[in-house]
Amino acid sequence: MTVCDLFDSPDIELYFYNELDAGERARVDAHLRGCAACRQRLDDLRAIRRALASRPVVDAPPAGDWSGFMRRLDAAIAADTSAPGAASVSPRVATPRRGWSLRPALALAAMLALVTIGVAIAARYRTTPAPAIESASQAPAQTPAPELKADPDRSLKVGTAEHLERSKLVVLGLATRDPQHTTAADWQYERQLAGNLLTDTRLYRLQAQDRGMTDVARVMRDLETVLIEASMADKPDRDTLERVQRLITKRDLVVKMQVVASSAGL
Amino acid sequence: MNVGHRETADSDLVALAAAGDGAAFHALVERHRAMVYRLAYQFAGNHHDAEDITQDVFIKVYRSLERFRYDAQLTSWLYRIVMNACIDHKRRQSPAGWAPFTEEAELRMVNTPEERPGPEEQTYGGQLGEVLQSEIARLPPGQRLVFTMRHHEGLKLSEIASALDLAEGTVKRQLHAAVHRLRGALTSARVTTGGRA
Repeated sequence: MTVCDLFDSPDIELYFYNELDAGERARVDAHLRGCAACRQRLDDLRAIRRALASRPVVDAPPAGDWSGFMRRLDAAIAADTSAPGAASVSPRVATPRRGWSLRPALALAAMLALVTIGVAIAARYRTTPAPAIESASQAPAQTPAPELKADPDRSLKVGTAEHLERSKLVVLGLATRDPQHTTAADWQYERQLAGNLLTDTRLYRLQAQDRGMTDVARVMRDLETVLIEASMADKPDRDTLERVQRLITKRDLVVKMQVVASSAGL
Repeated sequence: MNVGHRETADSDLVALAAAGDGAAFHALVERHRAMVYRLAYQFAGNHHDAEDITQDVFIKVYRSLERFRYDAQLTSWLYRIVMNACIDHKRRQSPAGWAPFTEEAELRMVNTPEERPGPEEQTYGGQLGEVLQSEIARLPPGQRLVFTMRHHEGLKLSEIASALDLAEGTVKRQLHAAVHRLRGALTSARVTTGGRA
């Protein structure tokens, strides 16, 4: 089979996808009549189309269940517009002026989360007074230590590591609960802790994304998913807790948090 | 859900959502999420990343409601956002400096498949469609995106070029390179299976 004029050109693809004008199409038609190699190329494209047409179309999350996606989207949008400092995190995007029907309640929840975070975490720390954890009492919105002011990336890394240390306690708390022996009050406590960390987690993720800190952004994304599942579940029951635990295990979240926190230099 | 907006035109939903109607925004998401997810899944090849991309798309839609041009088709606008979200997603996953469509990157991408099992490893265990799907997943991101938009979604190359802000010639080369790779996988599969595939 000899190499023809169209061998290295995209003309056969463009012919197949009907991207040629009438004149070019007639030219390729004429060529095809005399060129077995190009007819084979065209047949290959038809075979590719047939084969791909037989593949199942995936256009929804597993089991066609959109509820988790919609919940996470609502939470992400609420955090995007109500999180303190969100506009400065993504300066390319203007914060919409319009009101969101759930926004007042979510904004209030976010504010309350920030106010109560210290209380909730302090309660957690009282039961696990590890030295490394005691140093992690700085809220992300607080002014960084003087030596960090000159280096925003360093400041972000330190804040990230501290946030991960705080969050690790909550994630471990969720991961180690026995679903069969978790009371409603225990579960409510874990959910509250998870909810308190959500806004800050999203803030750190956006900052990491904006600064190209891919590994940090990824682990924050995984953490955010777990926290949303834990804090916003429709049914705070045994199944939900088990689902959250599977999520933590599947994403190897605790190890990832440890690695990223360590690489931040703390 | 959102029964009240079932008959509402896309452009009206955008206007309502931009004015603060959360139900209208939900209706918009529910109407188009399957298309967005399908594209995201074809690009990413797994549910986790597909969901990430889909969420990013609708967050961008939400942020951009006030900038929607009402003389434009919502689906065209969405395609553009989806394509950019796919590129952003890939960029976040890749080392710094990843550039999908420069000439240099184009050359590099042609020779840099993603690290997934090749067609030879796939053929015995599956059908031709699986082999090709696997090869699509191994395509460099730029080629994968152009092929998906042209082959699966039926967008004209000029529309893809416009959405990605690229020269049409670049898009043609991406498509050509993608088809070349798929044809290679097809040939390989036929050889491996003795023509059974």
